[in-house]
Amino acid sequence: MKKENTNHTDEKLGALLRESRVSPILPPRFQENVWRRIEDAEAAATSSRTATWLEEFVALILRPRFAYATVAVLMCAGILLGAHSGVQTARHDAEARYVASVAPDSLR
Amino acid sequence: MNRPLVILLGALVLGAAIFAGSFYFSQRACANMMGGKDDLSWLQNEFHLGSAEMARVRQLHEGYLPQCMKLCAKIAAKKDEVAAALANGTNVTAEVQMKLTELGELHAQCQAQMLQHFVDVSRAMPPEEGRRYLAEMERITIGFDGDEQAMPTSAHGNH
Repeated sequence: MKKENTNHTDEKLGALLRESRVSPILPPRFQENVWRRIEDAEAAATSSRTATWLEEFVALILRPRFAYATVAVLMCAGILLGAHSGVQTARHDAEARYVASVAPDSLR
Repeated sequence: MNRPLVILLGALVLGAAIFAGSFYFSQRACANMMGGKDDLSWLQNEFHLGSAEMARVRQLHEGYLPQCMKLCAKIAAKKDEVAAALANGTNVTAEVQMKLTELGELHAQCQAQMLQHFVDVSRAMPPEEGRRYLAEMERITIGFDGDEQAMPTSAHGNH
């Protein structure tokens, strides 16, 4: 008898709860905004990964051994290429000097 | 701009400056060291001439220069005559035409003398180097490089 009473009360309570449930009104363009926020969050994560990569690279180039080696390589390359260019320039100047001495401008 | 990017750009600028500075000073040093005042130094280096060959080439060069200067003076005088004849009127007169013909003859004479000098110098060199020298000098001075299309501009452009 008592059990039957309890079941009856539960059904009534359930019906009341179902009636009182409020279905929320979504703001306009809710779904679109959700997707945008998801995309923004992903873009921020990518940007953060780039920043981390840049920081790691900068930390590498600021290491004394790396910095000295880079300076040495750049100086060697500059000196070698400069010497090659200087030899070519000197050769070209010497040729021009000889040609100017034997062939006046009016004949060339 | 964030700090790592600024550091990276600074490092790139510094690296470029180090490379450019090394290149510039090395180039200047080499050019100064190798650039002599002798007009014939190019011949010796380029055509691998020994001291005996260089002495003969120098003798030919020194013999050629006064003749060349004499003809150059004649050409300059003839150009003045052409300019004077042109200044007298607005037409290409018979006198102007005659002066131009004479100027052309002097040019031809000068070129023939120059080519003969190149031939003489080439004979003072080892045969292979002599041929290379002659071809190079004809290419530079007359424009004989086997390219018929190049002839008009190189042969007449600078006269």
